[in-house]
Amino acid sequence: MSRRLTKILIPVALILYLWPLFQAFSSRHKAFFALPDRAPKVSMENSSPFMRAGFIAPDMEGSRVHAGSICKLPDGRLAAVWYGGSREGAKDVGIFSAMRKPDTGASWSKPRLLVDRATASRELDRYIKKVGNAILFAGPCQRVYLIYVTVTLGGWSGSSLNVKVSEDGGDTWGRSRRLTLSPFFNISELVRNKPVFMTDGRMAVPIYHECMGHFPELLWLDATEGNHKASYRKTRMAGGNTFLQPSVVPRTPLDATAFYRCRSEKRAMGTANTTDAGASWSEPRFLALPNPDAGLDVVGLSDGSMLMAFNDTPVGRENLKLALSHDGGKTWRRIATLENSPGREFSYPYMISTPTGQIHLVYTWDRKRIKHLTFNEAWVHGQRPGGAQ
Amino acid sequence: MTYLFSFLFPFLVMMLFLWEISRLLGLRFKGITPTLGLAAASALAVATPVCGLPLGRWLISLNANFSIPLFAIVLSRITGNIFYRPLLDKRAVDTCAVFFLISGAVLYPMALGIGPFDPYGAGWRFSWLFAGVLVLTIGLLIRKNRFGMVLVFAILAYDLNVLESSNFWDYIIDPLGVVWAALRLAWPRSFGPITPKENNRGMR
Repeated sequence: MSRRLTKILIPVALILYLWPLFQAFSSRHKAFFALPDRAPKVSMENSSPFMRAGFIAPDMEGSRVHAGSICKLPDGRLAAVWYGGSREGAKDVGIFSAMRKPDTGASWSKPRLLVDRATASRELDRYIKKVGNAILFAGPCQRVYLIYVTVTLGGWSGSSLNVKVSEDGGDTWGRSRRLTLSPFFNISELVRNKPVFMTDGRMAVPIYHECMGHFPELLWLDATEGNHKASYRKTRMAGGNTFLQPSVVPRTPLDATAFYRCRSEKRAMGTANTTDAGASWSEPRFLALPNPDAGLDVVGLSDGSMLMAFNDTPVGRENLKLALSHDGGKTWRRIATLENSPGREFSYPYMISTPTGQIHLVYTWDRKRIKHLTFNEAWVHGQRPGGAQ
Repeated sequence: MTYLFSFLFPFLVMMLFLWEISRLLGLRFKGITPTLGLAAASALAVATPVCGLPLGRWLISLNANFSIPLFAIVLSRITGNIFYRPLLDKRAVDTCAVFFLISGAVLYPMALGIGPFDPYGAGWRFSWLFAGVLVLTIGLLIRKNRFGMVLVFAILAYDLNVLESSNFWDYIIDPLGVVWAALRLAWPRSFGPITPKENNRGMR
């Protein structure tokens, strides 16, 4: 290498490093949790308690379904996604969606295949062995996002995450984009729970890592750009090998509480807090609620309380209950038993609340169907402690 | 650009593979025309659909982000084979191997879950990682080590966003690079830079 070349390359290197430095400074701004808009407390929907139950997908003989997700579309319709096929992890598994008009009496549309391994392989231009967990949510700018898991090699620890965006409220979908979130062959990243939104247009999507360690993370996705230009990054919520599948509930613009699925022998739910809008999280601690290494979900209600859907047992997934907390998630009171049938599985609850106080809960019903419950806050507050069905 | 660039590493690997095959068969590639022929055959091979996917994308299915230093190592091997002038000399290749091993030992265990700290997070935006690699780059350039030039290309590639990843770590290190570095440490003769003497082996 000549001295002249060295003299040229040193200033070139300095200049090339200015670009990421400039980007870092230009994107340095304080962001807060965007708390959900709430309609006036006294609304028609909230005034009298109600609870309706139904199934989203028809029972298809021999088909196994799992990991439902639901969202309210920009036009007011409801949309749900889940994955189904001959068995979990099979090559014939696809991610399906169905929609429903906003009025409570409406029925769900016929399920439509959104992504399977063939379409994912074509859109991502690579070999895909199987697809898995998916979540659906409406972001800023009227966009609807689908984040889903694909595996190229091995089991779920070989998972990678992909994003698909609809610009027309979920009717048509753009091409999938692969997210690079891990330095080791970009594997072991999965998604499960709903995102929280930030005031700067970003979304914090709870994800988790499942390889040597099992730990919760946040995927920060910029919603101000189109899918293939949107920047993203991830941060770790906790290390270790115990907690995963975070469910995050913002309480104030800076404070939020996360609840974790537990895979340790302790079989108790985990929790942690942030006081800087998700930038850092406290050390996880165990809650006095059991967790059988199964998914759970929590939503914030309009009066500041929190509602949790969970399997109330350290082993198995034979029941599904609701619990209410009035102290930011520190203590919980069981208020309703939604399912309780020995030998069956009721799992992976996913809940959203609407500005009018309606709560939509979807969950896996015995791996055969995705069940959808709609109720309002008045119904929640009318439940008696103890959780009778 | 990212999509087209994704074919470059498979193309270089294919070129190296075909060159090694031809060397075993006693064929000699020297001069522009045979080299262009080899490059054309390699380009055709990586673009050929196999079960609906171009062959090059099968490699990308396993790892979509090959680091710029690994690009440089493969390219250096090719230029050494064909033109007898490796892009990187022994000192630069040694430095690259040490860089891969040290940064791999720092990054992978912690990024995969050992301990609460995630060093991969430093690659998303300007951080201690960028500052450290800049200092290393300047130090290497002052010492006239060609690996410094490779690191300049790494930050250029990052600025141009040529890889699927937007994390700077993926531009400077990848698991296959670490495997190569470990193999080179174990068998330096097999995984070292090509020399003209080595290059003539097996040729008739």
